[in-house]
Amino acid sequence: MNMNDKLKEAFDGIKAEEALKESAKNFLLQKTKGYTKVRPANRWRLIPLAACFLLIFLGGWLYFTPTVTISIDINPSVELGVNRFNQIISVTGYNEDGVKLADSLDVKYTHYGKAIRQIMENDDVLSFLSNGEIIDISVIGSADGQSSKILSEIEACTAEEENAYCHYTDSQEVDAAHEAGLSYGKYRAFLELQALDPSITTEKVQNMTMREIRDLINTLSPQEEDSTPGEKENSQQENGHGYGKGKRNGNGQGKSSDK
Amino acid sequence: MRSEQEVNRVIEQYADTVRRICMIHLKNYADTEDIFQTVFLKYTLSSVLFESEEHEKAWLIRVTINTCKDFLKSFFHNHTTSLEELIKQPAELSQEHRDLLEAVLSLPVKYREIIYLHYYEGYTAPQISRILGKNVNTIYTLLTRSRQKLREKLEGDEYER
Repeated sequence: MNMNDKLKEAFDGIKAEEALKESAKNFLLQKTKGYTKVRPANRWRLIPLAACFLLIFLGGWLYFTPTVTISIDINPSVELGVNRFNQIISVTGYNEDGVKLADSLDVKYTHYGKAIRQIMENDDVLSFLSNGEIIDISVIGSADGQSSKILSEIEACTAEEENAYCHYTDSQEVDAAHEAGLSYGKYRAFLELQALDPSITTEKVQNMTMREIRDLINTLSPQEEDSTPGEKENSQQENGHGYGKGKRNGNGQGKSSDK
Repeated sequence: MRSEQEVNRVIEQYADTVRRICMIHLKNYADTEDIFQTVFLKYTLSSVLFESEEHEKAWLIRVTINTCKDFLKSFFHNHTTSLEELIKQPAELSQEHRDLLEAVLSLPVKYREIIYLHYYEGYTAPQISRILGKNVNTIYTLLTRSRQKLREKLEGDEYER
C-alpha cells in the first residue's frame, strides 16, 4: 500500500464527533434566534458609510452653494457665483457676448479678486471700456461680511475705471432676473427702463449694451432730471451704490454741478 | 440568511471535512468547537450562491482554513497544548494510521494543508492555489517539499523502531 492510500485512510478515520455537530447546530439556532433574525451586524456596519456620505455631501454643499453672486454687465452679461470660501464656482453668460466672454475666461475655482482682475484686463472688456461703454458690477448676497468685503475689493479693482459702477443688493430679485434670462445688473436697468417705457421687452434689452440702456433711460426720463446724464453717472461712481435710484431722486447732484 | 434545513444538511455533509481541517491547524478540542460554530455561522449568514456541490465544498474549505488561521492569530489563543492532544479518536484509528497522522501533524502548517488538500481531497495544484490564494508555482514547490518531508519523517520513524 503506498503512502497516498495510507494517507487517505488515515484521514478517513477522522470524523466529526456527533457532539460537535450538535453543539454547532444549537449554537446556530441560538445565534439566529431560530433562523428568524436578520444579520445583526448589518445595521451598524452602514453607519460609518453613511457618515462618510454625509460628510461628502455636506462638504459639497458648503463648497458648491453660491453665497454671493457677482453680476457684470457691459454688453456681455456675465454672472460669477462665489461660494463661502470666496472661490468662483460658476461662470454664466447671459447673452451671446456674455457666453463668449464666459468661455474665454478661466476663472472657475479661483479667488473672486483674481477673477475680477482677469475680467478687467480681458481684451474684449478693455475695448468695450475704451469705447465709452459702462461696466456695471452688482454684488448680490445676504447682508453679511462677505458681500461687503467683496464689494469693497471690487471697488478697489475698478477704481481707475471711470465708467464702472459697483453696487450691492441683498435682493431676491435675482431669481426673477434669471427667469427673464437676464443677469441681475441688466435686469435692474430693465426694470428701470420698463417703468418709463412699458413696451420694452427682455429680448430687446438682452443684446443692448449697458450704455445704450442707460442712454435710453436718460432720454425717457423727465426732462428736469436729465440735464447732465453722463456726468451724473460719473459722480455716482464715487459713492458706489444705487446709481439708478440716485438718478431719479437726484443723489450726488452737488458733485455733478461742480463739474 | 439560509434555512435551517439547508444548514443542517451542510453540517451533516461537511462536518468531517471541517473536522479534518481543524485537526490540521488546531491543537485542542475546545478550539475545534469554536471553529465549527464560526464556520457554520458564516455559512448561515452568507448569501453566496453556489454553482455546484464542488463550489460549495471549496467555499467551506477555504472559509474553514481562513477561520483557523484567524483563530491562531488571535491574542487569546492558547499556545501551550501539547501534540499529544492532537488526535482525539484513538479507538477508531489503527496504530499505523495514527503514526502517519502524527508524522503529518509534526510538519509545519503550510505542508499539512497541502498534504491534506492534495492527497486527501484530491485537489490539483491550480485548484489549491485558488483555495489558499497562493501562486501555482508556490503550490508545486510546497507539494514537492511536503512529500519529501513526510517521507523523511516516516523513514526516520521506521529506523527508530
